[in-house]
Amino acid sequence: MKPMLNIVVCIKQVPMVTELPWDERSGTLRRDLAAGMMNPACKHAVEAALQIKENQGASITVMTMGPPAAEEVLREALAMGADRGVLICDRKLAGADTYATSFILASAIRKKCPSFDLILCGAYTSDSETAQVGPQLAEELNLPAAAYAENIDVNSGNIRVRRLVDHFRETLEMELPALVTVSMERYQPRYASFSGLDKAFTRAGISVLNAEKLGISPADLAQQGSRTRVRMVFVRKAQKENVTITGAAARAASEFLDRYERKIGAAIGKSIEAKK
Amino acid sequence: MQFNPCIKHKLIRNSARHFAETELAPIAAEIDQQRIFPRDAINKMKALNYFGLQVPEEYGGAALDSISTAIVVEELSRVCAAVGLCVTVHNGVAVYPFLQFANAAQKETYLPQLASGEVIGAFSLTEANAGSDAGSVEMTAVKSGSDYILNGTKIFVTNGGVCDVALIFALTSLPENKLQSSVFIVESKYPGFLRGELEDLCGMRANPVSSLFFEDCRVPEENLLGKLGDGMKIGLATLDNGRIGVAAQALGIAQGAMEAAIKYAKERQQFKRPIASQQTIQNYIADMATEIMAARLLLYRSCELKDAGAPFGCEASMAKLYCSSVASRVTGLAVQIHGGYGYSKEYDVERYFRDAKVTEIYEGTSEIQRMVIARAMLSQSMM
Repeated sequence: MKPMLNIVVCIKQVPMVTELPWDERSGTLRRDLAAGMMNPACKHAVEAALQIKENQGASITVMTMGPPAAEEVLREALAMGADRGVLICDRKLAGADTYATSFILASAIRKKCPSFDLILCGAYTSDSETAQVGPQLAEELNLPAAAYAENIDVNSGNIRVRRLVDHFRETLEMELPALVTVSMERYQPRYASFSGLDKAFTRAGISVLNAEKLGISPADLAQQGSRTRVRMVFVRKAQKENVTITGAAARAASEFLDRYERKIGAAIGKSIEAKK
Repeated sequence: MQFNPCIKHKLIRNSARHFAETELAPIAAEIDQQRIFPRDAINKMKALNYFGLQVPEEYGGAALDSISTAIVVEELSRVCAAVGLCVTVHNGVAVYPFLQFANAAQKETYLPQLASGEVIGAFSLTEANAGSDAGSVEMTAVKSGSDYILNGTKIFVTNGGVCDVALIFALTSLPENKLQSSVFIVESKYPGFLRGELEDLCGMRANPVSSLFFEDCRVPEENLLGKLGDGMKIGLATLDNGRIGVAAQALGIAQGAMEAAIKYAKERQQFKRPIASQQTIQNYIADMATEIMAARLLLYRSCELKDAGAPFGCEASMAKLYCSSVASRVTGLAVQIHGGYGYSKEYDVERYFRDAKVTEIYEGTSEIQRMVIARAMLSQSMM
């Protein structure tokens, strides 16, 4: 029998709405004002882990850093079929940028799952979309990594990843342990069953880590802490304009096409010039 | 009483909402108009334990508490009340009596199939002359050898067109020539079990409500639920539970209608500004939101009593009475806010408006609920 694969999936709770007010002073989103959900790409990463588990057996640890409410996304992943959860929760770690986050996640993985084979992350998050934490975490742990994977095959000690890059697909092969970030092309997440939800509370455990348990000192935070300073946050404004085209139908249609055929063509992906 | 939902209840709500919005929202209007029972969606729900919400794990259920169950029905009904109805009737009045009154052999036989949704359940008390007056059932079950022979007609059977097992209330003879109703577990495959045409109803049209006819339908005596003559007792206990389900359904319809009205009020421009900026519309929205919140607390209170093992019949009636009247008022206001468009099938509120009405009628009319509540109040000794 093959040894059981150890998979860690790093997930994030994001606000359910797209437009959130932000704190003008810190430049960070007021996440407390919206209900949270599991970041969609992270959910695809959980699904990828579950499919690997179904194919060849694996033990799945889901990990997140966030406020106490972030427990929700861990429970959701457990309900889908993950085996255990790790919540990194400490006010001292709040406001971490991607650099600090990957440093903290790396500490937690070394502490809780030192014998991991594969780390999966969502390729990007719907709230800040930096797509940085996965690759930075691979750097912290000194692992080979591939981002934006749409398919993952694990074969004894190796992992083969297919990803969509620009307009072509490439297949990469790496030795385990490795890190892969999962995009949203495939691995449509399953619905959690209610019995799974029930068991996520009665059976599976979540361990909570803080800075002290992780052995992260104030000096570490000064050294490895956030390097990003948000200078300014602004909303891109789009102005809607009403245009009235008058005249006989044929002339109005013609004028409409003259004005907008390029925009319409771009929207539908083909030229409509010939149809005129 | 807990005023903040625990993480589990939140996740159950998110999960049911996500399913309803993904799988039911795109089809809800069409299946209502065409009277289609959405089998594909229902099949997906079976694997997710929608048909064994409160069935213990040993029988393959999800073993949820009553608030969770109410939340699931609420969220389904917020999007598609007909599917909410299918689920609440199956769980609330078909499965529940098995949990409460079935013997070990009956539980062993039926609960796993019911919990997996392989078998869909129905509850059949209502007859042409037995509605609010549940005691005047005319259907008969006559002992013949080791069987009972059932004859009669049941009407307005929710899930009637698709049920595989129905709980049938019929008159049986007791010693000293007393006639009293009893409950039988009747499988649709038994000879003499016949389905009528589907009813052409005002709302929740995707649910296959039908009559059931029994013509010399032989039912083995081991399919008697509870004891001979227990019909009234089982019926009343089951209806108490069913009322929680209908209240949840009404609440979901009200919530869906209010959300649709708020969205529309922000979009619809009249007098060169969104109608949501008019104080009259704001007052409507404030009233809707307040009544919905009060209804929700009343409903969860009855769930909490039920799970604590306390008597909950009076509170279930209060929840059913109030939630259903809120649903009617809120859907009426939601149509009003939509103006002419609300009266058109182009907008969901027209469907919500039709769906809400029956929640004041079935599982005991509002008049019967008041009777139940008043009886409970008058029997308490007033200091």
